[in-house]
Amino acid sequence: MNMKKTFITTCVRSISLLVAFVACAQSVPPSLSIQIISQNTLNGVAGDFVTVQGQITNAGATTLSDVTTYLSLVDTGTKLPVDLEDWSAEKGLYIGSIDAKQTLPLSWKIHFVKAGTYSLIIVAEAASNEVPQVSVITHFNVAPKKNLNPGQVLPVALGTPIVLLCILFVLSYRRKVDG
Amino acid sequence: MFTHIWKKEIRGELYTWKSLLWLLISSLLFSVTCYLLLTNKELSLLDQTELLWLLGKVIIGVALLIVIVDASSIITIEFEKETAESLFISPVSLTDFILGKLLAVLTLWLAIFVVSIPYIIVASAGSNLAIPFLLYTMLLGTLGVLGFTLLVFAISLFFRSSKNTLTTSLIILLGLSIPAVFSTTLKNDVVSQIISRANPVDNIFSSLDNILVDYQTSLIQNWQFIVPLVAFCLLALIILLFAMRRFQKHGVIQSE
Amino acid sequence: MSAIISIKNLSKSYGSKKAVDGLNLEIQRGEFYGFLGPNGAGKTTTIRMITGILLGDEGEIAIDGGPIHDKKHVAKLLGVVPESRGFYEWMTAIEYLYFFADLYNVPKKNQERLVTALLSEVDLLKRKNSTIGTYSRGMKQRLGLARALINDPKVLILDEPTLGLDPQGQLMMQQLLKKLSAAGVTIFLSSHLLDEVSRLCSRIGILHQGHLIAEGTVEELKQKTNMKDLTEVFLHLTSE
Repeated sequence: MNMKKTFITTCVRSISLLVAFVACAQSVPPSLSIQIISQNTLNGVAGDFVTVQGQITNAGATTLSDVTTYLSLVDTGTKLPVDLEDWSAEKGLYIGSIDAKQTLPLSWKIHFVKAGTYSLIIVAEAASNEVPQVSVITHFNVAPKKNLNPGQVLPVALGTPIVLLCILFVLSYRRKVDG
Repeated sequence: MFTHIWKKEIRGELYTWKSLLWLLISSLLFSVTCYLLLTNKELSLLDQTELLWLLGKVIIGVALLIVIVDASSIITIEFEKETAESLFISPVSLTDFILGKLLAVLTLWLAIFVVSIPYIIVASAGSNLAIPFLLYTMLLGTLGVLGFTLLVFAISLFFRSSKNTLTTSLIILLGLSIPAVFSTTLKNDVVSQIISRANPVDNIFSSLDNILVDYQTSLIQNWQFIVPLVAFCLLALIILLFAMRRFQKHGVIQSE
Repeated sequence: MSAIISIKNLSKSYGSKKAVDGLNLEIQRGEFYGFLGPNGAGKTTTIRMITGILLGDEGEIAIDGGPIHDKKHVAKLLGVVPESRGFYEWMTAIEYLYFFADLYNVPKKNQERLVTALLSEVDLLKRKNSTIGTYSRGMKQRLGLARALINDPKVLILDEPTLGLDPQGQLMMQQLLKKLSAAGVTIFLSSHLLDEVSRLCSRIGILHQGHLIAEGTVEELKQKTNMKDLTEVFLHLTSE
């Protein structure tokens, strides 16, 4: 009876210790974090440029080196990732070192290339064994651009060939008359 | 003396259905390009400088093609239509003849450039690049047209046949244009870079890129593209002079 | 009389075939010289070498004492109706003659009078504003003669000028040539029309297989060969 009681007590203590250990481990916050400080929904028209502003923080006690951020954009309509080729020149942004307890402001210029709805997340990582950190989602609502005559191109695009065609007919008529 | 040949060519070659049709086709190509660049959903969202660069390439590319087609026949037609004999019996020298024909081809280029001006202006609106775009299109286009025309003339004097001249000239233009459209990532090795430096078409496109996309608008900032173009013109001139000497040695009418 | 055209030891080969072989010829000032020969004899080759269009392999040619390669000197003296009958078909006759008047540096103030006179002489004045493309063959040949006279030449060289002309056209051309000869122009005429040559020419040379096989007046040639007329002389000499 006493042995049984001891065994149970030992198990409970072990489990408690384990749970406490796990709880401790989970409650240690990561030293690197990334926050978005601009609005979490940005609206615009295809062709617009918007800026997503954020900050990156090293909450740890030691300097973090080789810190880099990456953009990831998903088209929420098609559920497919988007090639960031023309969307941003800052697809990968190398920050370098962040001292302990330091916060650095960051911004990403985004070009709304195509109409649709999108989700942007920013991933930050450091050279040390940190788990990559992810920002909150920033939503983009991009309306289509409708302009059939941007910069008055139509008068030139139609007018120049028409003028040349008129010259051609005048020349032809004059040649017929002279001939 | 060459001015009489030039005037004859303007009247007989440029002030004709054929040339005006070329100008009309150029204008339609520029219209489609310009309209697509400014209104197509994806294309229109490129940086304006990239649009201008694309437009510049189309203008000079179309001009080079038309000029080469014209230059391929402007000399050989005198032999094919049997008008060369009466022309060379007159006091016209071979130099006057070539110079008059050259000016006629350059006049055609000038006409194409004038047609492109409204497109350049409308595409450049708001960018402060209209003047550099116009000036450099004129400069680079003229150097390109001059070099290729001199080369085509040399080929004409050699072949005396418009069909053979045109085929050879188009092959040369194609051979020089294809590498020019490769991206820079495909030009990383030494050989590709040397070819790229020497290629007149590549130099024209790279210079336009430098001016329109990177805003390097002074002549000094583009010397590395303009000097090879000038060298190309000089080389073409040397080849032409050699061809002219050979032509004179064989006579206007070749030994059959 | 001094020679206005002097040809010494002129030769030209096309590959292995000798088109002109050691030709020696002198045309005197004011002469009307007929240059005869069967097809392939080398007549057109000789004419092209005289005008500088074709280069000879050997020999020398002098026009009025000046060498053939002095283009400016030669172009001033020579008027040529060549074998090739190419024209700028899009030009009118009057534009065509003005163009060549410019090339020959005819003073602008004289051009209108000269061009009108030439077109009248060749009976093309009524069609002066029509494009050459609408001309008949005979009209083009007459225009070619007008062009050859644009620089008021001392020497007129004609390669088969009446070929393809109707009888009226031939007569008109022959009358014009007679008139020019009477005015002192030296005429070098290459033709197949033996009757025409015998009537017009003061002296005749017969070319056969690149060699000048006979030369002289019609009478001299008839006596030498014991033939009745120039046709028989020609056939006799060129059949050998």
